[in-house]
Amino acid sequence: MSMLPSGVHFKDHAQELRLLRTGPQRLAMGVLLAALVAFPFVASSYLIGVAITVAITMIAVAGLQITVGMAGLLNLGQSAFVGVGAFTAAALYANHGVPMLPAIALGGLAAGVVSILFSLPALRIRGLYLALTTIAAQVVFPVVVLRLPASWFGGSAGLGVDQVQIFGLPVETPASFYGVAVGVALLMLAVAFNLQRSHVGLVFRAIRDNDIASSVLGVPLGRYKVMAFFAGAVFAGVAGGLYAFYIRYVTTDQFTIWLSIWYLGMLIVGGLNGPLGAILGTLVVTVLQEGIHWGGNRMMAAMPQVSGGVIFSVTNIVLGAAIIWMLIREPHGLNHRWSLLKAAYRIWPYPRA
Amino acid sequence: MTGFMQHRWGGWLAAGALALLGAAAPQARAQVQYNVSISLDYSGPFAAVMDSWYGGQQSVFDWWNDTRGSKLGVKLNVKTYDMRYDASQVARTWPQILADDKPIAFLGMGSPDLVSLMKRLPNDKVPMIMGTAMIGPLWTANGWHFSFRPTYSQEFAGLFSYLQSRLPDKRALRIGTVSTQGIAGYVDQVNGVVKLAQTYPERFVMANSQWVDNTPINVTSQVRELLAAKPDLILVGTNTAQVVATVKALKELGSKVPVVTSSHNGLTEVAKAVPLADLEGSYSVFGFAPSMDSSVTAAQVFEKYNKTKGTWGLTAAQTASQALLTTAAVERAIATVGAGKLTGQAVYDALLGPAFGADNFLGLLKSVQFTKEAPFPTSNLSVKAVTVKDGKLVPLSADWMAVPELAKW
Repeated sequence: MSMLPSGVHFKDHAQELRLLRTGPQRLAMGVLLAALVAFPFVASSYLIGVAITVAITMIAVAGLQITVGMAGLLNLGQSAFVGVGAFTAAALYANHGVPMLPAIALGGLAAGVVSILFSLPALRIRGLYLALTTIAAQVVFPVVVLRLPASWFGGSAGLGVDQVQIFGLPVETPASFYGVAVGVALLMLAVAFNLQRSHVGLVFRAIRDNDIASSVLGVPLGRYKVMAFFAGAVFAGVAGGLYAFYIRYVTTDQFTIWLSIWYLGMLIVGGLNGPLGAILGTLVVTVLQEGIHWGGNRMMAAMPQVSGGVIFSVTNIVLGAAIIWMLIREPHGLNHRWSLLKAAYRIWPYPRA
Repeated sequence: MTGFMQHRWGGWLAAGALALLGAAAPQARAQVQYNVSISLDYSGPFAAVMDSWYGGQQSVFDWWNDTRGSKLGVKLNVKTYDMRYDASQVARTWPQILADDKPIAFLGMGSPDLVSLMKRLPNDKVPMIMGTAMIGPLWTANGWHFSFRPTYSQEFAGLFSYLQSRLPDKRALRIGTVSTQGIAGYVDQVNGVVKLAQTYPERFVMANSQWVDNTPINVTSQVRELLAAKPDLILVGTNTAQVVATVKALKELGSKVPVVTSSHNGLTEVAKAVPLADLEGSYSVFGFAPSMDSSVTAAQVFEKYNKTKGTWGLTAAQTASQALLTTAAVERAIATVGAGKLTGQAVYDALLGPAFGADNFLGLLKSVQFTKEAPFPTSNLSVKAVTVKDGKLVPLSADWMAVPELAKW
């Protein structure tokens, strides 16, 4: 339990377990929600698009935090589970008339079910060996989609989503899709934060810290490891469903192992130890990417004598260097840095021990 | 007196200047400006060729504005966007393009543009013009995306037909393929060639297909197995890495079987990684005339108008063709609706009109005819190719090579 300001005390256990325990915390959350609501009214359509991508990516990374950060099961196949969710949601919507939100939910469920197959090796192996088996999901996913009958998932043609609607209302503008994506992301993040402090979350963390010790204490390791994969993949599937409706067309090429590695990179930058790490990692890496591209475009306009390819090669090196620098400065992730900042703020003006 | 004369002459001069301005002003005022938006990739897999890529488009639009557009009273402003070859980037940039540019046409780069925009374009009423070849799964009706090139498989079929007709005994051409499973476009290239062999069994035989990693380091064992099937050529239509690996494997195995590539992974790109001598007899085939073809006058346009660091070559020739198709459609739309009423719908309608004559394309294309049934021309198709002869890249044939009829696969 983190340090609280002097004078804050609870009368019962339920109060202590709340996510928002103090007035300033509730105020800060209110301001954040108000800012999220106001954002599409003040931002350009491009920035709204960036926010939509951040929301979708955040859900997938939060799912990875459950599997990797909470339960300690290394997963390099998250992008394949995003793909399963995307294809399922698109097929249900386009071919079977299932409404958008149920299609996204069922996409999540389908990804969870598929993940069970790839979680079985976790019963026997762990660490890097387990990571290798999760790559199998990444390899098998496109081959299976291409080999299944084209009437299921479109085969090599992929699947298109024509008119995106919720309750009969079109979701065509960036602002309207922003509402859907951010709404779903907030819901999923609330689930992730609650899962962390639930009984299941505690068991996940026990397995991560020492799986043999937790099994001695009576934890059914197999069941909980499968559950950790399932939960992480459900998040990935929901992210995939949203992606399908945002891009409006899904093909197997869109869900590569590089995407899985980016998800893991975002989580490591943000911090493995909590859902806040997924939020911070996604935000910071996206801001870095966008900022560096913005700078690259300005450089290209200012230096017409230099090839665009050279400028953007340099920007990619700068992006990689920035991420490495952040990891060296804060190996526990930005989540940890945020906790230190909060603690320093609460005991100010006294120095942090 | 002198002062009076000066005043009088000054008055005449001023009146003359005003008259000249008056004559010019209606023309300047009449020139209506429209935006054409372009997808580029300065930070993805095609960053290295982007200067030449954009150079081909920019030089054609500048030439058109300078010559034909000025006479028609229309100026096309080019707006470029670094889409990073990423579907998400295209999806989030597109609303901004629609709102800010209100383009009458959009020039796409590749599959990220197709994937993100195919379903949006009919509602947004903006036609997308591509420069890449298409794939079988995109062979659908009523799209707002167009390419002057047919599918990769059809382009390969044109070269195969040419080569088979020159075999001394007219026997069937034995085709080997190297490709990757799991990537829809790559699998489709092979499927199309399989369909070709099934359609013309007396002319083409699928000798063997090898499936390798997307960016392999070494494919010697796969190529050895392929060579056991005695192919006349090996098709590698996927990417440069696979062509390089295949060429190195052939050299290691002491084989001289030629490799067939497309434009995006063509011999010019491959020659940056392996000596041109190792590519002797290999081919690149595509649905436009090679940049070094003597009939291509677009080279002079590029030389005069190019403002980029790019150079004239296959990449610039491909994108110049893309821009020339756009300007041809714009000219036709102007003739139909007038210079002041151009819209995306007008350009779309123009694209679906009668065939565009070869005179629109500065030697780069033959006539181009679109129908609603496919996003690319489906009749009277023909291609050109380049090959390496005596260590030099040269056009294979001065004439266009006809593509055999091929039904959907």
